[in-house]
Amino acid sequence: MFAVGRALVVHELAERLRDRWVLVITMLFALLASGVALYGRTAEESAASVTAPSIVTLATLLVPLVALVLGHDAIVGERERHTLGLLLSLPGGRTEVLVGKYVGRALALGLSIGLGLGAAMLLLGPGQRIVVASLLPHTLLLGAAFLSVGMLVSTVTRRHATAASLAVVLWFLLVFFYDLGILAVLVATDGAFEGARVGALIAANPAGLYRSAMLTQLGLGGGLDGIQVSAMLPGAMAQAALWGGWIVGPLVLGAVRMNRSKVAQV
Amino acid sequence: MNISVEQLRVGFGTVQALDGVSLPFAPGEVAVLAGPNGAGKSTLFSVLLGLVRPDSGAVRVDGRDVLMGSRKDRVAFRARLGYLPEAVAFSENLTGRQVMKFFARARGIAADRREEVLSLVGLAGPAGRAVRGYSRGMRQRLGLGIAILSEPELLVLDEPTGGLDQEGLTVLWDVLAQWKQAGRTVLVSTHDLALVERRADAVHVMSRGKLVASGSPDELRRRTQLPVVVKVEVGDPVRAEELAGGLSARLGVPVDLGVGSLSLQVAPAELLGVMRAIEQSSEGIGGLRVEEPGLDEVYQRLLEV
Repeated sequence: MFAVGRALVVHELAERLRDRWVLVITMLFALLASGVALYGRTAEESAASVTAPSIVTLATLLVPLVALVLGHDAIVGERERHTLGLLLSLPGGRTEVLVGKYVGRALALGLSIGLGLGAAMLLLGPGQRIVVASLLPHTLLLGAAFLSVGMLVSTVTRRHATAASLAVVLWFLLVFFYDLGILAVLVATDGAFEGARVGALIAANPAGLYRSAMLTQLGLGGGLDGIQVSAMLPGAMAQAALWGGWIVGPLVLGAVRMNRSKVAQV
Repeated sequence: MNISVEQLRVGFGTVQALDGVSLPFAPGEVAVLAGPNGAGKSTLFSVLLGLVRPDSGAVRVDGRDVLMGSRKDRVAFRARLGYLPEAVAFSENLTGRQVMKFFARARGIAADRREEVLSLVGLAGPAGRAVRGYSRGMRQRLGLGIAILSEPELLVLDEPTGGLDQEGLTVLWDVLAQWKQAGRTVLVSTHDLALVERRADAVHVMSRGKLVASGSPDELRRRTQLPVVVKVEVGDPVRAEELAGGLSARLGVPVDLGVGSLSLQVAPAELLGVMRAIEQSSEGIGGLRVEEPGLDEVYQRLLEV
């Protein structure tokens, strides 16, 4: 059962390992995270106050970009290479193909993030390692969420170039402009916008949810350009639901799009 | 496996790609779909493969409509078919063996069968090389290998002869013969009817989404009533000229005189009379041959009609 999906998981992971995608992204993470770790060590400050927050900022920028780039061509790339028809003629559903590709790519991304952070941790002392290691689960969730968004992009576009452009636009919107938008709302409403609603707005974006949750976890209050949002963020259950929604939601939309489409391969 | 399509309709905007096509495909049959570009052949295949959802109609497998059936039915049907697309393509970085391994894994096929198929399609040697270095014919053979990997009951080959070298064609003919012998169905779409003529049990001619004609090659020939060519070998040129004049006068048809032979184009209905006339003037005749029109001529005539 689900032989096509399982074969795709292995195939996608193997292909990312084979074409050195995992190696390159691991090295990128390792290099940047190690630089941050080295800076933290020379600054002789605690991991919680310098190294880990810097890694959080780095991951907030880098992980969504890498995940979107990884996901955006999953389906549209096959379509453009004329390999999708053969894939969808296998005895599995369109959803199985989408999920198989997602899981395989998610494993590759998770491996890169894990190894990258692991490399940075080697440069730190035992106490600091634990702090940085505590970032890993949420960083993986961040990657999984943006990978899912990338997969959705891949199902709604017909050309690889369009998918790539859309992925970059989404990255700018969610990682850069979203926070600016919230700040603009706060300024425009002159503080009338209450804390819980700000927290909900921040948490509605996986990049904001990640950064705020991680800074809160590190005891830094979860900042939005100086605004303390730790008290504004929704509870743990609501955060878990949001992560679930961002990971499963785009995939479901992508599956609906693929299944409702009259023509699958062109 | 008994398969039939019934009243299939597929429209893309203003274009009707399939317009009420109904066809039965019998087990052990090599059925050829012929037609110009845009005739609807590939769309029909795509419907069978679940790649295109028709606006109406049914695909029945052993009496059950797989389009309206459960997901399980559709998946089970796809497990029973193999497919070679017209523009077959693979991940360029993978080796032939890695490509085959993926499809074998997806279909739950054992490694020894995988290697057997690679040998069968003549790619056992180059299987370790990346697909990017393969010629078009080699890619086509790899695609054919993937299509036959699970020994499917229905083999769907979309323009399989395109790009195939002689070695590839030999593999293809062997596969068609094996499938036919095993009582499995093969659907082939092609522009090159002359190439598949001897292997076809049924030919379905399509044009602009509609079925123009269906039948065995002989049935289609009879339907078009295209003239047959009778070639008579006559060693003596003087006798050949005499015979040509006599037959022309007697039958009222032009006779072409060649070197050591003469030929007549006659309607199939008149063939018996012509043979009798030749028999009555058989002196000096070294041999006689009747050439039927090629399937590609029959196809052209059917499209004109």
